[in-house]
Amino acid sequence: MALRLEKITKKYGELSIFENFSLEIPEQKITCILGPSGCGKTTLLSIIGRIIQPDHGRLIGFENKTFSYLFQDLRLLDWKTVYGNLDFVLKDIYPREERAKKINYHLKMVDLLKFKDYYPKSLSGGMKQRLAIARAFAYPSDVLLMDEPFKALDLPLKMSLINDFVQLWLNDLRTVIFVTHDIEEALLATDQIYLFSKPPVRIIKALSLNIPRNARTSQEKCFVALKQELYHTIMLGEEEVGIAADYSSQLPRSRPRAV
Amino acid sequence: MQNSTIKTQLIKLAPFVFFIFVWKTAAVVVSSEIILPSPEKTLASLSALLQTKGFWSSVIATITRGLAGFLLSLGMGLLVGLVAGLNKTANILLQPFIILCRSTPLMSIILIALIWFKTEHVPIFVSFLISFPIICGNVIEGVKNVDSKLVEMAFIHKVKKIRVFFEVYLPSLVPYLLAGISNAMGIGWKVVIAAEVLSQPRFGIGTRLQFERINLETAAVFAWTIVALVISFGFENLIRFAEKKVLSWR
Repeated sequence: MALRLEKITKKYGELSIFENFSLEIPEQKITCILGPSGCGKTTLLSIIGRIIQPDHGRLIGFENKTFSYLFQDLRLLDWKTVYGNLDFVLKDIYPREERAKKINYHLKMVDLLKFKDYYPKSLSGGMKQRLAIARAFAYPSDVLLMDEPFKALDLPLKMSLINDFVQLWLNDLRTVIFVTHDIEEALLATDQIYLFSKPPVRIIKALSLNIPRNARTSQEKCFVALKQELYHTIMLGEEEVGIAADYSSQLPRSRPRAV
Repeated sequence: MQNSTIKTQLIKLAPFVFFIFVWKTAAVVVSSEIILPSPEKTLASLSALLQTKGFWSSVIATITRGLAGFLLSLGMGLLVGLVAGLNKTANILLQPFIILCRSTPLMSIILIALIWFKTEHVPIFVSFLISFPIICGNVIEGVKNVDSKLVEMAFIHKVKKIRVFFEVYLPSLVPYLLAGISNAMGIGWKVVIAAEVLSQPRFGIGTRLQFERINLETAAVFAWTIVALVISFGFENLIRFAEKKVLSWR
């Protein structure tokens, strides 16, 4: 069953971010919200994560869901070690041994096990990102909300982090809602892309990506084509509301989905 | 490497050598032990003091008073500072009291305390009134600077409130608290000794300072001053050491 936002309205003073806005989010898939800065992407995550309330409208299917976040600014505790940062969010949930097992597993997945006694100050930027990713996955949740987690990173680091993220996700399928303004990120990681307009938000374009994950490299033909198309849509401000395109047929070789 | 450490040590030593040189020269020029005793006379007086029966009692009495006043201000400062930092109304209500503490002349506080309290307790009360606003102010500042995004992160992960307090608020406060402690201690010893000079408890560095001054034992006044300085430096180093331990994550 899919999660739904139904007829959501949210205003900040005079500025109307959402007006009767509806959106469907497939469960256990990675859904990407792509859009320009200030288009209400973060507001959407806050509404879903119940940090703020919408003025009108309702969320369907989210009632008993638990959430974890991957923040753009990471929000690590500088006075806790790598291990301690994961322990902090798990302490009220699991007994000690189970915590240790979970933490060690997730640190291993992001290659940080050797550094578990380090404080964040002695980690590189990429390591801190991986720690934040590990925390998001170590915390038991149904829905993972990600707010531009790979912003302002250089391309190789971004690729390697997206890869880490996808690997963790493949081992632990969750409903992921991934907000970004970066087309490349959206195409590399996600199953479903919604292209948002400026507020009041409309969905300009909806795409389902059935490309196997291992075929998603920047050089792949269909990938390049998609990228260009999204780019043009954004530039021209085209309005193809609700038109979902299945681009799997454009794949040069047909392979089974990696998921 | 070895050479440069030795060099640094020598550079650090230079001001002391210079200071003692100036002191000695001035003492020779003045040539009156009552006005300005020479360094060696002061040293001799200090070593004589160390032999006297009341020396350690006085030192311990002063340290005890200083610590009592300090611990009182630390406890109250932390408590009141946390409440005022988290609650705007409490902060507004507290401000006049803090300003009152900060602006009242030290001597007025000492004299009023002399009317109210036993001589033994006057220095404790005075040092409390001086140190409390410093620590309290720093704690308030620290609470205001707690990163609200970290608190939100804890909230989203449903971390228990008590743990958010101990594991998010308190560690963010520590640098501010330590700065407050360092300031409060630095001024605390001066205040305690000043209060002792006026209140004249049975034992105390201030009591002895005043006694030696009346007897025109200037060298002993200098010697007691050195004792006070050593205490102050000792505690300052202790705080620096604690700071390094506690803030190793920085």
